[in-house]
Amino acid sequence: MLRVDHIWAKRGAAVALRNVSLSLSAGKTLAVVGESGAGKSTLIASILGLLRPSAGAITWDHQPVSSCRPALVMQEPRSAFNPVWPLMRAVREPVLGQEQSVTNERIARLCRGLELPMELLERRPREVSVGQVQRVGILRALIAAPPLILFDEPLSALDAVTQKHTARLIADMQQEEGFAALIVTHDLGYALAFADSIAVLKDGQIESISDPGSFVTNPGSSYCQALRDAAVALGSIEVAA
Amino acid sequence: MTLSAIGLSAMRSGRIILHPTSVEIEPGARIGLVGASGSGKSTLGHALIDALKAQGLQVAHVPQSPDEALDPLRSLAFHWHEAAQARGLADGAAHQRAIFSALKIDGGDLRKRPWGWSRGMQQRFVIAMALMGTPDLIVLDEPTSALDPVIAAATMNLLDRHLERTNTAMVLITHDLGLAARRVSHLMVMAAGRLVEEAETGKILNNPQTSEAKRLAAHRNWMEVPC
Ligand SMILES: Nc1ncnc2c1ncn2[C@@H]1O[C@H](COP(=O)(O)OP(=O)(O)OP(=O)(O)O)[C@@H](O)[C@H]1O
Ligand SMILES: [Mg+2]
Repeated sequence: MLRVDHIWAKRGAAVALRNVSLSLSAGKTLAVVGESGAGKSTLIASILGLLRPSAGAITWDHQPVSSCRPALVMQEPRSAFNPVWPLMRAVREPVLGQEQSVTNERIARLCRGLELPMELLERRPREVSVGQVQRVGILRALIAAPPLILFDEPLSALDAVTQKHTARLIADMQQEEGFAALIVTHDLGYALAFADSIAVLKDGQIESISDPGSFVTNPGSSYCQALRDAAVALGSIEVAA
Repeated sequence: MTLSAIGLSAMRSGRIILHPTSVEIEPGARIGLVGASGSGKSTLGHALIDALKAQGLQVAHVPQSPDEALDPLRSLAFHWHEAAQARGLADGAAHQRAIFSALKIDGGDLRKRPWGWSRGMQQRFVIAMALMGTPDLIVLDEPTSALDPVIAAATMNLLDRHLERTNTAMVLITHDLGLAARRVSHLMVMAAGRLVEEAETGKILNNPQTSEAKRLAAHRNWMEVPC
């Protein structure tokens, strides 16, 4: 289980996270929503140990998070990959030394689920579309079956149909392998459809943590309500009258 | 004058990724370009921009990744100054203040390099640069993909007002049909490197003809499908 316990973090001189606590069990999905600059990326960096909180603790099963070798799906799909490597090389990196045939089978299966032609992995990041390289990022995160995966806007470059198929694939893999998923997303529709709970981050603080049902019917704070209404106005969710 | 580009096409590594395609755009038109990931939207966007620029027209571009528009080694102030100069503007200080505050990036430090800003801030900075001057066409490739819904709506409203005031045409490349439904009057649908359907937005959303348009129209939002 992931435990984020009363952490404070700074970005330069500014306080980016204030007393943030949350927990996430194996097999569960937590969506983190909130405006640009609310501290979502800082939260991810803190969990991964790329940034040291000034106070508080973050653990996975009472150990440092790095002990579970978590995977990250980065927000900017193209810069997540070495520009001169064929994508296949990056995809295989987390499973170097493992049985080739098992890896090949897994790659083939994930490619099918992500609707990526295998030959596409022979190209470099700039030689595929942004939505394609975003899905290769998801493939790379899933390849080694880690117990914890952090997704930073994993579907942001995908069309609606591919989004749903990709979300479905992630959920199916999670069902099978039981990883904990922390998903940072602006897409409230996605969060509501797939997460077990939704944390709203505002100005570095957790404004609320609720289940999807109660978030829609009773968003609570005025900010949560504004977020819900904007998602309705943008057409990504519909709320029955 | 109608903007017109005929016989656009593209080939990479021996594969045709854009089959010969012609596009006509009326002044001030709002056109959405939609289609599955990998269908060739960005490729058509680039080809259209190149063709119109070759005709001497002014086209502003907000690329899908901010790093296509921003040099990692240059400060944001440098980018802004250079863009203003290219458009023959003094340095756009007044415009800069107004637009930065409307896009809520007035808190950002322009002395920083692009990677000193969040992805969403970079995206809005690139949009702000595109709104300088009065180009004939603005091509925006997934301009709200890194923005939260509140800021995305504010950004699109600002864009709407700008386009209206300057009678600039827009091609909005987006995977978000909900967004397109509210912002463009016509849709072009792409599949596998071809334009397969083109009509008024309402027509395509309510009465799609091709399988590709039907697929997209049927999956407009998350809550309608049982997952
Ligand atoms: N250098 C290249 N070599 C081979 N194929 C390429 C190359 N560059 C792009 N492609 C292919 O061309 C097709 C169209 O790419 P494009 O970036 O235009 O798609 P898109 O519709 O913008 O997708 P997305 O919504 O994911 O951004 C994709 O299938 C992509 O893999
Ligand atoms: Mg694209």
